[in-house]
Amino acid sequence: MTGQASGTPPPTTTDPPPSTSTPGAAEAPGTPATPPTDTPPTPYTPATAEAPETPGTLDRAKLFAARLHAARVRPYLATALFALHVVESRRVPTMGVDRYWRCYVSPAFVDRTPVEELAGVWVHEVSHLLRDHHRRGDRVARERGLSGPAERLRMNIAADLEINDDVYGEGLARPEGAVDPEGLGLPEGQLMEDYLWQFRLGPRMRDLAWLDCGSGADGLDREWELGPDGAHGLSEQERDAVRFRVAQGITGRPGNASQRWRRWADEAFHPPQPWRELLGAAVRSAASGPGAGEDYTYGRPARRSASVPGAVLPSIRRRPPRVSVIIDTSGSVSDAELGSALLEVTAISRAVGGRRDLVTVVPCDASARFVHTLCRAEGIPLTGGGGTDLRTGFTRALRTRPAPDVIVALTDGQTPWPSTRPPCRTVIGLFPRRYRGHAYDETDPEYVPDSPPAWARVVDIGSAGP
Amino acid sequence: MPTRTPSTDPDTATQLQTGGDLLSLLRDTTTEPRPDTQLEALTLAVAADLPVLLWGEPGIGKTAALTQLATALDLPLTTVIASVHEPSDFSGLPIVGDDPAEQGVPMAPPDWAVRLVRAGRGLLFLDELSTAPPAVQAALLRLVLERRIGALRLPPGVRIVAAANPRSSAADGWELSPPLANRFVHLQWAHDTEVVVRGLGGTWPRATLPRLDPQKLPEAVALARRAVCGLLTARPGLVHRLPSGETRRGGPWPSPRSWEMTLHLIAFATAAGSSRDVLSLLVRGTVGDGPGLELLASMDRMDLPDPETLLADPDGAVLPERGDLRQAALDGVVAAVRSRPEKSRWDAAWALLVRAVESGPPDVVVVPATTLAALRRDDWDVPAAIESLAGVVSLSRRADDAAARTKPAATAKAGR
Repeated sequence: MTGQASGTPPPTTTDPPPSTSTPGAAEAPGTPATPPTDTPPTPYTPATAEAPETPGTLDRAKLFAARLHAARVRPYLATALFALHVVESRRVPTMGVDRYWRCYVSPAFVDRTPVEELAGVWVHEVSHLLRDHHRRGDRVARERGLSGPAERLRMNIAADLEINDDVYGEGLARPEGAVDPEGLGLPEGQLMEDYLWQFRLGPRMRDLAWLDCGSGADGLDREWELGPDGAHGLSEQERDAVRFRVAQGITGRPGNASQRWRRWADEAFHPPQPWRELLGAAVRSAASGPGAGEDYTYGRPARRSASVPGAVLPSIRRRPPRVSVIIDTSGSVSDAELGSALLEVTAISRAVGGRRDLVTVVPCDASARFVHTLCRAEGIPLTGGGGTDLRTGFTRALRTRPAPDVIVALTDGQTPWPSTRPPCRTVIGLFPRRYRGHAYDETDPEYVPDSPPAWARVVDIGSAGP
Repeated sequence: MPTRTPSTDPDTATQLQTGGDLLSLLRDTTTEPRPDTQLEALTLAVAADLPVLLWGEPGIGKTAALTQLATALDLPLTTVIASVHEPSDFSGLPIVGDDPAEQGVPMAPPDWAVRLVRAGRGLLFLDELSTAPPAVQAALLRLVLERRIGALRLPPGVRIVAAANPRSSAADGWELSPPLANRFVHLQWAHDTEVVVRGLGGTWPRATLPRLDPQKLPEAVALARRAVCGLLTARPGLVHRLPSGETRRGGPWPSPRSWEMTLHLIAFATAAGSSRDVLSLLVRGTVGDGPGLELLASMDRMDLPDPETLLADPDGAVLPERGDLRQAALDGVVAAVRSRPEKSRWDAAWALLVRAVESGPPDVVVVPATTLAALRRDDWDVPAAIESLAGVVSLSRRADDAAARTKPAATAKAGR
């Protein structure tokens, strides 16, 4: 931000006037508390949001009527909306939130904005907090080495894009000048982290309104904010509790919440983990369990035995695990997906001490004819297409001698599974079904594929990742 | 040449002396008091005699924290690096005697265990669990769960803390099976950049560790029982829920055992006067995020003022500051009037609503006021206090108007 503004701090009202005030009475100009020069000329101030020239008291009735309207059309957000504490501020361009769930409001902005648009702004601001944009912004800044107000402004815009593409409509008016992905020629439905790389700051950005949503949107503390020690802030545990209750309300009654909010609720406290780590952990744990990999054995005496006469010590022996990868080559899995998953499995098996010649690959669609070893073939022909029956792949993999210690099956799950548990550890990497809702089998539209069996460890591949 | 040798000695000594001076200058740091949520949670869990598992990347000060904890609890610290030991170091070395068939083969414990048992008390820190081979881990878990090393049994005065690297950064397949994960309090150990930078600059934090207040013990137990039983009565499904899915494997999950641990932890945190943030770390690390947050949310509800108390004295009532809690309290009041409708209670509820409007945002009052108005009986006169709620009515009307205006806009959007 620019230099420290001098003068008195913005008056913060904690006690509202008695609500007998009618809209007309409240709009009457109050005492000129702060001169207009107190508003710092920030580069954020968009063209449509002039600095408040006419100091007036905050029209709380209008502001709260808007919040009431927002809570009525988005009942699942009511808890979060009511948890916000309003702070009147002449230095915030429009409305902004800090990470402690205080909401800073410019009286002039309230005066010139219709109630229904104010309701949209309420929901917009509370969405920043629910979606944890400040913490995510901090994380992005740390990981990618972004610093400075310009980068934070980009984060604010990217966060706005994430919120704005589906938050309005259905009783909530879109505030004038709200930025959305469509306006910037970007695809909808992405996350802040994705949008961050798809646009640059330019003259076009000057028109974007209410770009200053406060530190709650991008993690950069503003000078008008009260900070961690100010009154009415929420502690971290309280913030989590509010977010949790909103998420619980959405998952409990998903009927009236949008798809995006439902997804948010599902992931709010169980963020999807990157599949590579999960697959890696599953394969590692399967490959280094007892019987495979490195372990202690009493078969031969340990080298330490000589120094401890009378004691029986085990010695460590290594037996590299044999990994058999069954690959579903039916039409619904793309080559790129298969390639990345196969690379991953190979890298992991090498990390646990496997050798390339111990990793075999069984391409499988309706039948499995060949078994390839990784050392022989640089590129394994992943031939196939059409229907899938992974049972033949399992049979084929288990018939190879010596038998594998671990079977990793990479598939989209559109297959029957073996009815009995194979005699080795099994990890199933499941590709997302992108054609959900379509019939897979033309002759039987009611066909529903079996879910993966309980004896296997299942990892969803490509479900998420940073 | 021989004449040079004595002259180098004092020279070297001076060099070392200077080096020593430099080192002592570097070690000359101060401390400042600073609340440390993680350390407070760890202290409470250790005080409650529950096995703690610290999850954290290597090199972020887990050992330093343990040293501070040992000092605070006045326990000698024994650190055992699991990855450099063999399984027999924990399960006992079989010693073949003269007549194994007659006398059996004794399992001899290692020297640190003998010393620990002899001392009778101490803090045992099992470091680097995740880089030890599976057989070592298996032997260690017997130590944690049954507190046995070979033929020795650890005395009750010994507290155990373990540390492991997160699954993503572990080099091999370390992972807790659900029964084992259920016996630990899982604490995620992270470093605070600000603290590290300030510490390297010469000022390390000095955490003031929680002290149990003997006065509060009965009250703490009562509160803990009320919190856990209240939640589990309302949500019986939470009593036992095995983790499903790959993402939650190896983490905490709810079971009668972990709920009992939670109960202990709530009591300890209450007796120590710890903040909700500390309690949140502990509870979520014991029963998992979802059930833990539900418990904390229901404890927030327990903090709300009792509706009957509010109705009994509307003028002296203290309503919560936060809007959502205030609405929850007012909803509770209206529900109490509905369950036992009497004219006096109805009037008291109106007085409470007026108080709420005078001391906070008016929009939270709208829903309780509407519900309360619907409870009116024919022979009940409207109280005079209701005049003060005129603003609420106009507020509600304004929101209605806005809703009416957005209706056509919404249909236009849908058609787009």
